[in-house]
Amino acid sequence: MSIEYAPLAADADVVLGEVAGMIREVLEEYEPEDLEIGMATRFGEDLEFESIDLVAMADHLNARYGEVVNFAEYLASMELDEIIELSVGQLVEYIVACLRAVEGG
Amino acid sequence: MSRFLLVVPPLVGHINPLVGVAAELVERGHEVAWVGVPELVRGLSGEHATVFPADAGDVTKVRDRPAGLRGMAALRVLWTDLLVPMADFMAPGVRAAIEEFVPDVMVCDQQAMAGGLLAELLGLPWATSASTPTELTTEYLPGVESWIAEQVDGLRERIGDPKSKIDPRFSPDLVLAFTTQALTGSDIEVGEQVRFVGPSIGARPLVADFPWERLDPARRKVLISLGTANPAAVERFLTVSAEAALARSSQLQAVIVDPSGALGEPGDNVIVRPKVPQLSLLPHLDAVVCHAGHNTVCESLWHGLPLVVAPIRDDQGDVASKVVEAGAGIRLRFTRATDRHVGDAIDRVLNEQSYHEAAQRIQRSFRAAGGSVAAAEHLERLSRKQHAVASG
Repeated sequence: MSIEYAPLAADADVVLGEVAGMIREVLEEYEPEDLEIGMATRFGEDLEFESIDLVAMADHLNARYGEVVNFAEYLASMELDEIIELSVGQLVEYIVACLRAVEGG
Repeated sequence: MSRFLLVVPPLVGHINPLVGVAAELVERGHEVAWVGVPELVRGLSGEHATVFPADAGDVTKVRDRPAGLRGMAALRVLWTDLLVPMADFMAPGVRAAIEEFVPDVMVCDQQAMAGGLLAELLGLPWATSASTPTELTTEYLPGVESWIAEQVDGLRERIGDPKSKIDPRFSPDLVLAFTTQALTGSDIEVGEQVRFVGPSIGARPLVADFPWERLDPARRKVLISLGTANPAAVERFLTVSAEAALARSSQLQAVIVDPSGALGEPGDNVIVRPKVPQLSLLPHLDAVVCHAGHNTVCESLWHGLPLVVAPIRDDQGDVASKVVEAGAGIRLRFTRATDRHVGDAIDRVLNEQSYHEAAQRIQRSFRAAGGSVAAAEHLERLSRKQHAVASG
């Protein structure tokens, strides 16, 4: 839980880097050596995230973005099939949209 | 005297808790019959059990799901390939059994939804048997909750009372939860009809020989068992577990349940068996490594043993979290744990006193909860209450 962040930026590449860092924190000592995290990486099938990992992810997102990004609300809006297929890219795009909404005032 | 009809799926872990309850009800002078797969029920409950047959369809497809199918994807398949078709398959058998046996009260396993649906339709009092606490305590995401509700609604249209709003997984009158709040946590909110009776652990027949003479009193002993899940999924985890045990041969003995025989004979301190008489073995052990199946977890804690849990899917992730939150064990990632993860976790649960203390605290709560006797008393109360309503 010791990630150092730059100021918030509504930029997909920057956000992807931040989200990938959080995922590595969640996987911790179980992180596979060859793990690559890209926009197409899926939380379920590729990362084998379990329910408790999504809870940990929510904590990381909250620590970084505060109330700007409501991950619990985002998950609550999804159908079962969407939860199963959720990708890193979808989360990144959601975060970028939230950040832009705040920037736009 | 009352007549109790027990509705069960062809799943060992769901029949076992009711075996002790059935014996207790008979002991108290009641009449008990089962609906399910007769060979399986009689194998667990005894040759003299009255069992009305109910075709449950093919359950092996879901039991043998590949290792990679986990999480919410596994939940979807559990419902579409097992729970829903099983209810449709079982409904005619359950209905025939009700007509022939004419029960006063039905006791329906949470996964045998045909039971609750037909009890509601026919206006019979019924109780739920929750062999695992997961459905009681899990807060699903709204999208998951509404998808499950759609599946239940479909079943209710086909085999239940379409006008009813009752969930066939939760009797409005009595839900028997075969655990205690020492394990589930006391801060969870459950309905007021839920009764925590603790595990119902009876004297089950010895199902396997065991080389008792090989157990060494000078070394500490762990059981490593991933239950009856499919062999391909468990082979990797068993292999790294055997390596962890071999590296500790001077102070540790491991008994590994290896249904497929993939391990061979790794070494003197590793006893590999296709199956073991688990309840007879547990009193000789110091810790258990398992997949967080609710039966194995409860049987281990019943003996006050700390756990290392590597959940595969379904309710196991939830049960594993409860074990960790109660302080009675360590959680590993099933598909990624190496010999180092398994070995470190075994060392810690054996050597750090807090795991023993938590396991023993749960053990005391289990033994005080009443088990099958308490369950039978609740069922008698439900029967009397219904009788009073009917005649009053």
